[in-house]
Amino acid sequence: MRLPSFNYLEPITLTDALNLMEEYHGRAQPLAGGTELLPRMKLGLTHPTYLMSLKEIHELKGIKSNKNELYIGGMTSLREIFLSTLLQQKFLAISEAAGSVAAPPLRNMGTIAGNLCQDTRCFFYNQSYFWRRGLKPCFKAGGNVCYAVPGSKKCFSVYQGDLAPALIAFNAKVRIEKKGSSRIIPIEELFSGKGEKPIVIADDELLTQVIVPIPEGIYGSSYRKFRLRNALDYPLVSAAAFLAIDSEKKVKSVKVVLGAAGPAPVIVKEAEDILKGKKVEESAINEIAEAAYKRAQMVDNLGLPASYRKKMVRVFTKRAIENAFNSIK
Amino acid sequence: MKIRFILNGETKVIDVEADRRVIDVIREDLGLTGTKEACGRGECGSCTILVDGSPKLSCLMLAAQLEGREIITIEGIKKDSDMHPIQEAFIKHGAVQCGFCTPGMVLVSFDLLKRNKKPSRDEIREAISGNLCRCTGYQKIVDAIEAAAKREL
Repeated sequence: MRLPSFNYLEPITLTDALNLMEEYHGRAQPLAGGTELLPRMKLGLTHPTYLMSLKEIHELKGIKSNKNELYIGGMTSLREIFLSTLLQQKFLAISEAAGSVAAPPLRNMGTIAGNLCQDTRCFFYNQSYFWRRGLKPCFKAGGNVCYAVPGSKKCFSVYQGDLAPALIAFNAKVRIEKKGSSRIIPIEELFSGKGEKPIVIADDELLTQVIVPIPEGIYGSSYRKFRLRNALDYPLVSAAAFLAIDSEKKVKSVKVVLGAAGPAPVIVKEAEDILKGKKVEESAINEIAEAAYKRAQMVDNLGLPASYRKKMVRVFTKRAIENAFNSIK
Repeated sequence: MKIRFILNGETKVIDVEADRRVIDVIREDLGLTGTKEACGRGECGSCTILVDGSPKLSCLMLAAQLEGREIITIEGIKKDSDMHPIQEAFIKHGAVQCGFCTPGMVLVSFDLLKRNKKPSRDEIREAISGNLCRCTGYQKIVDAIEAAAKREL
């Protein structure tokens, strides 16, 4: 499959990149690893006039840390995040999430910023031009019908990123820059919750860094992913859990986040009320799994029926919490 | 635009259009048809090449991004005119049927054996997890890579 034509830009510093973003008024599409954007371009789902490769900007690559925070450059490869010993020791869920993306060659190419900013997906949208030609455009394609839920008034496409749930479980933030200014927001605010335009980032902005606070005390984390094949597939359901306990094994804080359960990652807010101050017991885990089940919004637009995927929310929420607890050293 | 890169040990300077992919340049402009394109969207691994030593998918890379890099394709792993031991093992163990996935499989094995001299069967499976084969059922491919690692050709 060939690519449609475009003009190629290749800045070598972040300043140059931000200048270009402003100069082209949002018509310069940033290209990170290309593993999601290029297939979308081949299907004709997006037609950028200018493609701006960020691969040569070395200041956006690498993992650093100080006493309080971990900094991951936006162009750091998923392979590097997966294999980092620091992440495997202190941020297991993030490493597991990076290691669960696609397959080794794709992890060599894909980046954390690209993974976070990936578009939502749907069986009725991520199809070839030929397939879509026979139908009126759906909400996601700028039209006003939905083929997944006929008669609905909004888009039900699903956010299937692996990294976001794990990063949200660790209360991570992202740095977003444009020419002359920079802002830091919690990752959950990156998502609009709308399938039509899921990522809230202006046309002249770049996601340049992920900042993860290093938790204090005793804690564990885990990311569990449900899919049909053990490689290559996007998650059909996923759950990330973070669990901190005190010296009496009572829960100090807990965060459970679902992936592929709606147009944005879903935070299971009930978890804190259910577990805080208590010991980790099966009944409490079941209660959180039930709350997660209720929060998951699924329709028949991915690889398996929605009813089945929704039931799997319970299973994978439990597994994530249990694994997080078992990973506490 | 003009790009300069090293292909299988030889410096190449060529003129490419922005919208050409690496696989188009390798197969059409440079005539090395060992690298195959199957799905064209990053799901099959047929088009795998080694870029600066690590496996990447040439159907999802822009030719312009080759500037200054060193790439190795299936044509570049043989020694003199002999086959590489991994290729010999693939033949000996029946790991090649239609052959379309083979270049990708051989290159990811090449990368694996460079990093890990004695991989377990699970590590081999993990390494080839991004490469689909519709013929062999994978067992023979894993056998071949294991044998190549042990040099039991």
